[in-house]
This record gives sequence, C-alpha cells and structure tokens, in this order.
Amino acid sequence: MGFDVGFALSTIPIIVGAIGATLFATVLSCVGASAVGFTFEIIRRSGGAPGFAVRFLIDFIRSTPVLAWLYFIYFVLPFYGIRLGAMTVGVLALSLYYSGYLAEVFKAGIDAIPKGQQEAARALSLSRRDTVVFVIAPQMLRNIAAPLGNYLVSILKATPYLAVLAVPEMLGRAFDIASETYRYAEPLTVAGLLFLALALVVSYGVKRVEQRLLATGRR
Amino acid sequence: MLSPVAAVQAEPLVQIEGLNKWFGALHVLNDIDLTIRTGARIVVCGPSGSGKSTLIRCINGLERFQKGTIQLEGVTLGQSARNTAVARRQTGMVFQSFNLFPHLSVLANCTLALRRVLGKSMREAEEIAMHQLKAVRIPEKANAYPGQLSGGQQQRVAIARALCLNPSIILFDEPTSALDPEMIKEVLDVMTALARDGMTMVCVTHEMAFAREVADEVVFMDAGRLVEHASCEDFFSTAVHPRARLFLDTILRH
Repeated sequence: MGFDVGFALSTIPIIVGAIGATLFATVLSCVGASAVGFTFEIIRRSGGAPGFAVRFLIDFIRSTPVLAWLYFIYFVLPFYGIRLGAMTVGVLALSLYYSGYLAEVFKAGIDAIPKGQQEAARALSLSRRDTVVFVIAPQMLRNIAAPLGNYLVSILKATPYLAVLAVPEMLGRAFDIASETYRYAEPLTVAGLLFLALALVVSYGVKRVEQRLLATGRR
Repeated sequence: MLSPVAAVQAEPLVQIEGLNKWFGALHVLNDIDLTIRTGARIVVCGPSGSGKSTLIRCINGLERFQKGTIQLEGVTLGQSARNTAVARRQTGMVFQSFNLFPHLSVLANCTLALRRVLGKSMREAEEIAMHQLKAVRIPEKANAYPGQLSGGQQQRVAIARALCLNPSIILFDEPTSALDPEMIKEVLDVMTALARDGMTMVCVTHEMAFAREVADEVVFMDAGRLVEHASCEDFFSTAVHPRARLFLDTILRH
C-alpha cells in the first residue's frame, strides 16, 4: 500500500476545514500568553511579595508539561465546579504555559533597555503606567521581535495538543481521517505540510514586522 | 561674563540642609548645605566620584537620601511620593547620555510629557515643542529620530524636551562629557542663551571656560563634601581649599 496521491489530495479540503480552529487557538493563545507573560514580568519587576509569588509561578509553569496543564484544567477543575469547553481549556492552557516562557523573553527585552530611559521618564514626571506603555514596551518589542516570533510559531505548533481534548484542529482532523480509513501516511503528511506552510507564513510576517520596527528609530 | 544676580533680591528656590547619603558603606554626600536662588547659575565641579551628580540627582528625586532636607519652592522632597512628584514637576533634567527615547521622533520626545503629564492637546503640545526646538535651533529635525542626529543635536533636543515642561530650575548632569569636542560648543551656546534668559540652572561640568563665562556661583565638591562655594570670580582667583586649588591648577593647565 504505497502513498496514494489522489487520496492525499482528497483529504486536503477536510483538513483545511480545521484550519480555522488551529488559527483561532493560535491567535488567542498568542494574545493570552503575551498579555499574561507581560503582566507577570511587570509584577516580578516590582518586587515584594507579589513579585516573589510570580517568580515561583513562572518557574512552576516552566517545569511542568503542557499536557499536564491541559488535562488538569479539563478534568480536575470540574471537580471544583469549573466546567469549561475544550477550546477554552486549550487556549487557557497554552496561554498559561507559554506565558512563563514569554515572561523570560520580556525580561531580556526590558533588561536590554538602558537605565537612562527610565530615569528620563521619571525626570519628565511620567507615571509608572505611561512609562511602561510609551517608553518601555515599545523598546522592549523592538529588542525581542525575533525570539517573540519564535514563540508565536511554537504556539502554532503546540495547537495539536488540543487534539487530546477533541478540539477539531488540523492534526486531530487528520488523525480522525486516519482512524476511519486506516491510511495514516496521506492525512498526516497533508497536516504536516499545512503546518509547515502556516509556520512559514507566520515567520515571514514576524520578519517583516521586525524589519519595520528596526527601521524606525535606530539607536 | 553675565551680570551676577543680586543675591539679596532673589528668593531661595532650592534649600538643601544637612544632606547625607550613603551607598552601602560609602558616604557619597556628607552634610551638604546649599541654597539655590531663583535665577542662579551654579556650576558644580570636582574630581570624579566626589558626589556632584548624586547631589543634583537628589534635587529632582532621582536619588533617595538618608538624612537632611531638600526644599523646592517650599515643598519638602522625600516626605511623601506626592511631594516628590510636585517638586519633580518643577525641575528639568539633562543627562550626560541624552537619554532621548530612540523609538520616538524628536517632536514626539518633546510632546510625550506635555500630553501625558500636563494633559495638553496634540496641537498645543506640538506648538510648545516646536517653540522649544526653535530655541535650541533644531526645528528642522522635528520629524527625525534621535539615532539620525549627532550627539550635539541629541543633547540640544534633550534640553528642549526638558524646557517643554516649563521648569523653574534645570539640572545639567555633565551635559557635554559624552560629546565629541566639535559638538561641545553648540550645546554650551544653547545653555549660555538659556542662562541669558534668566533660567535657574545647576550644571555639573568640567567645562571651566563655560563656568567662567556663564556661572555666577561655583560649588566645589570633594569626597562627598561641599568644600567650596563661592562667587565665580572669587572661586577662580582665590579658592582657598587645597583640593580646589589643586583641581583648578590641573584643569586650567589644559
């Protein structure tokens, strides 16, 4: 039983039909992970008890497998009355998991900003919030465009984890076809190629954004 | 030389009394007393590590201190975060390394605080900013980014940015030390013009020619102490402290 090109082509529309779920999970998880990760980093920087707690939390998140988070949120939280849909759980787990890594990326990006920038902001009487929004965050983004892009691609590639909760994303859909037809090579190859195409598009987009960020306001 | 300010008429703008600061075991400011009158043009000099920068950074609350008081227009710094904020609003600061925001245009550097701190409209903020950029003779670079400017141009923009908030006093922390020699003059010229306009200024600098021309008072610091505080004329002719004499001999020989 060789690789049947005709069968492979026939799986494309079915698997592409799941691209929406994959992209939906990717985009929401990227936004969620960035927001949580940045918040973590700001709290960690401000020190004190909350800073210490967040520091521990980040280490904890980074030391546990993402599958554990998925299963925990999906199967354990209902015991405490929190029942969430599979897609919600997936986005939540990916957001939390990657927030731990992104917090580290944000940290590196902020550490690379010269101390004088914050001093200038203070000397101009900018509030803490305005300093973060108008002075720190834009410069941080410029510093971390490349590693941040890598993590966004990583999140895309992590969405197949959601298949364990039967979220209809691309790899899960390919696996469904395989189970029904007992032909694995074709649907899995198609899913793999589609992920490759998506990852290339995202990488290209990130590169373009990075170039634009660097083009304005070189130090 | 500019005409000296009549000390009796001018009111004290900043009053520093018994100021002490330690970095760990290092006593960086040791019992500093200093009164800065409105319109005063004070040059602070001394060997490196003597506490000059730390002193002026205390005046706008960038550095904390452990003992003593600093009053700015009657507001006591450090008593509360609110007081420090009120006092800081009255001071402008120009740094050795310019510290312009590299991701913002020259104009946006100047308008940011006008809009976010003083709540001015975009149009109003840009008007004020352009006025100050004209004052430092660089309005044509309003839409350039700091990275596209020379060091001297960046420092002039930094001065304009500080002036935008209309401070009662402007603090210069070695404003020409990071500049190539050919750019020092353009910055000093702007500062001289500012002094002519009656701006109260405290300037940490090694530019003794500038001190002679512009300053009306000179403060000499050594090892955290304020060892000499004299009118500009007296300082250069009759500075009595041996450290000050030595410093002057070394620096004036160049």
